[in-house]
Amino acid sequence: MTAVSRRATEPQAASLVDLLDRLLGVGVVLAGDVTISLAGVDLVTVHLRALVTSVREAEG
Amino acid sequence: MSGTATYLYAITRPIPPKAVAGMRGVGGAEVRVIDHQEIACLVSTVDLSDFGEQALAAHLEDLNWLARTAREHDEVIRAAARITTTMPLRMATVCLDDAAAQARVETVAESAAAVLPELDDRDEWGVKMFAVGSSADAEQPPEEPATGTAYLLQRRRQLERRDTELETAAGAADAAFARLAEVAVASRHHRPQDQRLSGVPHPMVLNAAFLVDRDAEGTFRAVVAELAAGRPPQALVLTGPWPPYSFVPGEQP
Repeated sequence: MTAVSRRATEPQAASLVDLLDRLLGVGVVLAGDVTISLAGVDLVTVHLRALVTSVREAEG
Repeated sequence: MSGTATYLYAITRPIPPKAVAGMRGVGGAEVRVIDHQEIACLVSTVDLSDFGEQALAAHLEDLNWLARTAREHDEVIRAAARITTTMPLRMATVCLDDAAAQARVETVAESAAAVLPELDDRDEWGVKMFAVGSSADAEQPPEEPATGTAYLLQRRRQLERRDTELETAAGAADAAFARLAEVAVASRHHRPQDQRLSGVPHPMVLNAAFLVDRDAEGTFRAVVAELAAGRPPQALVLTGPWPPYSFVPGEQP
């Protein structure tokens, strides 16, 4: 069944978006610009359009 | 800015230095172990030209850099998790040098020693649910409306139908979360991903993480399969096992 896969056990197979959800804490998920914060300090605001393009490129 | 700094990946149970031989971290640097009593910390050397405050802020806006660094960070943590219980630190946790890193590890040793037993022999699993087949997927009117009023009525019915469907999907997501939480040690929500980021042409209604005993993996998978049964193939997606990223306390070194 495709829905129940073990993809993430294979190196590089985990989706970048799922990984960033976890690493960045705040989630890269808003329907707008995304503020990346590390250690509770807001660092940069990334524009969603740029994020989508980069995520697609990185995954492709 | 020139010079180097020490990048911290994770706090773990003790790891012999030879276990990390050949392990590479951010920028391809060798991974090393800093010990303190009953815990260890995996570190590597990074350039301040990349990880100084200003440089880091600039890099984080470069999504290719962010993606590469996230992967490198993740690989060290996955490798550590294959060796022993691993408490991941936030990406880009950087100290001035090894002495500062050692001091930081000593400061958090007590709280880390309390967290590690919660993570022993457990993995994180991700479950995402999508409202597959909802009318939010594709919004083509079924037929060309004859008049403006007919169009508006049709559009209103369409939006009402969509709201109802999303409400139903949200209810199903809550039920699924509760069911999965029963067979997990801990559970939490991430925010649903934007459709453009998820790459799935359906609204995401659940993006959750579960901490599951390795002994209970079969049970957890069985519940996932049970929830997937009777749904379209794309409606439920399981990812994992992950290092326990979503289950480390917010307060970190």
